Amino acid sequence: MTFDQVHDLQQVYRLILHSMSRPGTISSLTDIAERVDMNLPCYDATILSAMTFFDVETTFHILSEDQQELIEKISEYTSAKYAPINEADFVIVLREDTETAIQSAIQNCKNGTLIDPQLSSTWIIESTLLSSEGELTLRGPGIQETAQLHTSFDHSAWHARNEKTKEYPLGIDLIFTDENAQVVCIPRTTSISVMGVS
Amino acid sequence: MKANTHFAFFDEGSKKEIRRAIMKAVAIPGYQVPFASREMPIARGWGTGGLQLTLSIIGKSDVLKVIDQGADESVNAVSIKKLVHETTNVELTEETSEATIIQSRHRIPEVPLTKDQIIVLQVPTPEPLRGVEEREFVTKRMHSEDDYSGVWLMLFEQIMKYGRTATFADHPVYVNGRYVMAPSPIPRFDNNKMHQSESLILLGAGREKKIYAVPPFTNVESLAFEDYPFTVESFEGHKCHLCGSTDIFLDEIIDQQTGEKSHQCNDTSFCMDQLNRKEKVEVQTSYA
Repeated sequence: MTFDQVHDLQQVYRLILHSMSRPGTISSLTDIAERVDMNLPCYDATILSAMTFFDVETTFHILSEDQQELIEKISEYTSAKYAPINEADFVIVLREDTETAIQSAIQNCKNGTLIDPQLSSTWIIESTLLSSEGELTLRGPGIQETAQLHTSFDHSAWHARNEKTKEYPLGIDLIFTDENAQVVCIPRTTSISVMGVS
Repeated sequence: MKANTHFAFFDEGSKKEIRRAIMKAVAIPGYQVPFASREMPIARGWGTGGLQLTLSIIGKSDVLKVIDQGADESVNAVSIKKLVHETTNVELTEETSEATIIQSRHRIPEVPLTKDQIIVLQVPTPEPLRGVEEREFVTKRMHSEDDYSGVWLMLFEQIMKYGRTATFADHPVYVNGRYVMAPSPIPRFDNNKMHQSESLILLGAGREKKIYAVPPFTNVESLAFEDYPFTVESFEGHKCHLCGSTDIFLDEIIDQQTGEKSHQCNDTSFCMDQLNRKEKVEVQTSYA
């Protein structure tokens, strides 16, 4: 871990904040990702996001069952504790996770309460290459008119996410990462329509 | 003796907690996210909410501008600027367009903000329902139930009493059609600048321990009735006595000796900019 935990993570934060306030806008963490030498079974952008947000006050969940080593490493680096899906503040989805696993996890994760909608889970999701040309049309706060996006989430995963955010202000906020150290965010306020499917 | 402080004054744990709160605030526009407001080296009520936001987001390459009621050089602005500069060594500016982070008390600059800027507003009372209901757990429930009859009634009573809504600053707004939010004590003149703004707007209340936000391109609607539409302060027939600008927010200045009234730009850096521009034209034409 040769990146700077103060200044590099501040930059990562600002880039993610930029993307979170402008859903569909892809930010690149390449410069900082070059300095990541942790050799973990996840993308550099994933570990950078985790390092930015996790500390002893937070809990996280990893969908894959055989990632004990990654769980231990993240706990060691950040002091965050591993928790079951229905308690975790952050949920990490790795490339290997199946759509069915993602779907059931979305159904079971923390969604906040009407009094405290901030008590919901934030997802860090590894995707195939993110692109602003894609099948998704985004609308909502942070987007001037519409934005286009491509992620590895399929129709059923978006359906589960849309169900989870139906009772706004309840809902989950998503951070997608890819192997080129790009990030893009979909907060609960974004309405998503998948092209070709009504 | 002077302690050698960490970058941006805060420990990394404090920054992380505030950063997480900001993310939630952005994801739920207008909703007040509670956070563990830290003890700061300035008193609560003097911009500690804004300061904590600024310190949590600022990085080495940022350019900071701090204003207090439109002025770059008032005590509050200067103290905050000094504290941030001493702990981060970031570049300071008075030029609105050069800044990447603008911390402000009670004004949004006259120059339109861009997508690369973040404006941080200091908030004394983040709860728009506080005048209606004292208890926090009740106001939280009212927000959750979308129950804003109290705040509508407050405006209605003002119309009954004064013939118009009598909010002078901090006129409540609807954000994204869901949450009623206190826009901080900005004049009504500035409320419209929040609507579909290009820049991210962060609001911090240190004493009340709340952080909230308005993302860019978000609907912000000032509360008003159909027959009593929302109006902003009018400066018709007045212009700045220094730079001659109109259509901006003006301060009324009364000469103590003569009792004479004059008007002046509230946004000092905007005024300075206009004067410099004029001077440049004068110099060019007189030498040509």
